[in-house]
Amino acid sequence: MSGFLAGAWAVARKDLMLEARSRERFVSMATFAVLVAIVFSFALDASVRARSIAGAMIWVTILFSGTLGLGRSFAAEREAEVLTGILVSPIPRGALFLGKFLANLAVVLAVEAVIFPVYGIFFGLDYGAGALGLVLTVVLGTIGFMALGTLFSAMAAHTRMGDSLLPVLLLPLLIPVVIFAASATQRLLIGRPLGEVQGSLRMLLAFDLVFLFVCTASFGAVVEE
Amino acid sequence: MDAQMDTGSLAGTRRWSVVLGVLSALALLPGLWMIFFYVPTEAEMGVVQRIFYVHLPSALVAYLAFGIVALCSLGYLWLRDERLDAIAVCAAELGIVFTTAVLTTGPLWGKIAWGAWWVWDARLSFTLLLWFIYVGYFILRGATENPERGKRFAAILGIVGAVDIPLIHMSVQWFRSQHPKPVVLKPEGPTAAPEMVQTLLVNMLAFMLLFFSLLLARYVVERLSRRIEAARMLRAA
Repeated sequence: MSGFLAGAWAVARKDLMLEARSRERFVSMATFAVLVAIVFSFALDASVRARSIAGAMIWVTILFSGTLGLGRSFAAEREAEVLTGILVSPIPRGALFLGKFLANLAVVLAVEAVIFPVYGIFFGLDYGAGALGLVLTVVLGTIGFMALGTLFSAMAAHTRMGDSLLPVLLLPLLIPVVIFAASATQRLLIGRPLGEVQGSLRMLLAFDLVFLFVCTASFGAVVEE
Repeated sequence: MDAQMDTGSLAGTRRWSVVLGVLSALALLPGLWMIFFYVPTEAEMGVVQRIFYVHLPSALVAYLAFGIVALCSLGYLWLRDERLDAIAVCAAELGIVFTTAVLTTGPLWGKIAWGAWWVWDARLSFTLLLWFIYVGYFILRGATENPERGKRFAAILGIVGAVDIPLIHMSVQWFRSQHPKPVVLKPEGPTAAPEMVQTLLVNMLAFMLLFFSLLLARYVVERLSRRIEAARMLRAA
C-alpha cells in the first residue's frame, strides 16, 4: 500500500513540478474563468439578481475551465512519450491514475481559489458566514469531477477528436455532482446554515468514493497497449 | 474450421432472429388493435393517453438494452471476447433507438397533457442524459484511432455509465416530479382498468420480442461486417 501511494505521489509531483515551471495550464484556465464571469455579467439582464443564481454561474465556470485544463492533462504523456516510461516503471496502473488525479485536483483547486474572489467582487457575493461549508462543497464536488475527468481525459488523448470529445463524454456523467454541488453552493451563498446542505455534502462524498473506486479500477484498461 | 463452425452458429442466430421477429409481429398486431379499438379512453387525459402503450414498453426495452451493454462491457474487459463487445455495440444502438422513441412519444403526450413539449422533470432529464451518454459511447468508439483500444474505451464508458445512471436517477428524483406515477408496475398491484393492463402487457411482450429479434439480427450483421473488415485488412497487408 505504501508503495502504491509513493507511486501516486511521484506521478503527482512530476505533474505539479511541470505545472509550477510553466504555469501554462493554471494561467489559461484562470484567464478563461475570469472571461466567463465577464461574459455572464454582459449576458445577464440587469434586473436579474446575480446573488440568486451565483451557485449555477460558479459551477458552470468551474466545469468549463476544469474541462479546459483536463484536456492538457495527458499532453506531456502523449507528446514526449512519457507514458511509455511510466508504464515500464514499477508503478501500478491505479497509482498512475491516482497521481494524475491528485495533480489535476491541485490545479483546479488553485483555479477555484481565483474564481471565488473574482465572482465575489464582480457580483457582490459575501462568503463570510458560509465559508467553511463552501470550501467543503467545492473540494468534494471537485474530487468527483476530477476523478471522472482524469479517466476520460486519458481516453480522449487517444482519439482523433482529442479535447473536443472530452466535454461531450464528461458532462452527462457529471450531472449528479453538478446537482448537489451547485445547489449546496447556492444555499450557502444566500446565507442558509451548514446543516441545511449536510445531505448534499454526504451525497457528494458518496459520489466521490464511488467514482474514485470505479475510475482507479478501470484505468488499467485505458493505458494498456 | 473455426470460422466454419462460427458461420454455422451465426446462421442459427439468424434463424432465431427471424423466429422472434415473427412472434413479435404476431404480438404487435393485436397490440396495435388493442391500443386503437379495445382499450377504453382514459377519463382525464383523453385519447392522447393511448401513446402510453408505446411509451412505457419502449422505456423498459431501453433500460434492458443498457443493462445488457453494461454486463457485456464488464464481460469484455474481463474475458476480451470479441462476441461480448459485438453484443454490447448492438444493444447500445438499440438502446438509443428505443430511448429516441421514448423521447419522441413523451413530448407528443406532454404537449397535450401538460401544455409543454418539455419540462425539466426528474424522469425526462434522466432519459435525456441516458441518450447522451450512449451517443457518447458511439462517438468515443468511432473517434479512437486504434480499434482494439476503441472497444476497451467504449466498454469503460459502458461500465462508468452503468454506475452513474443510478446516481443520476437518484439525484434527479430529488426534484419535484410531474411525470405520472406508476399505475401498473407497483408493489400493491395495478390500479388501472383491466383492459389497460392487458393492452400494456401485450405491447410490452411485443416490444421485448421485437428487441431481441433486432438484437440478434444486428449481431449477425455486426459479426459478418467485422469478418469482412478483417479479411480486407489481411488482403491489404
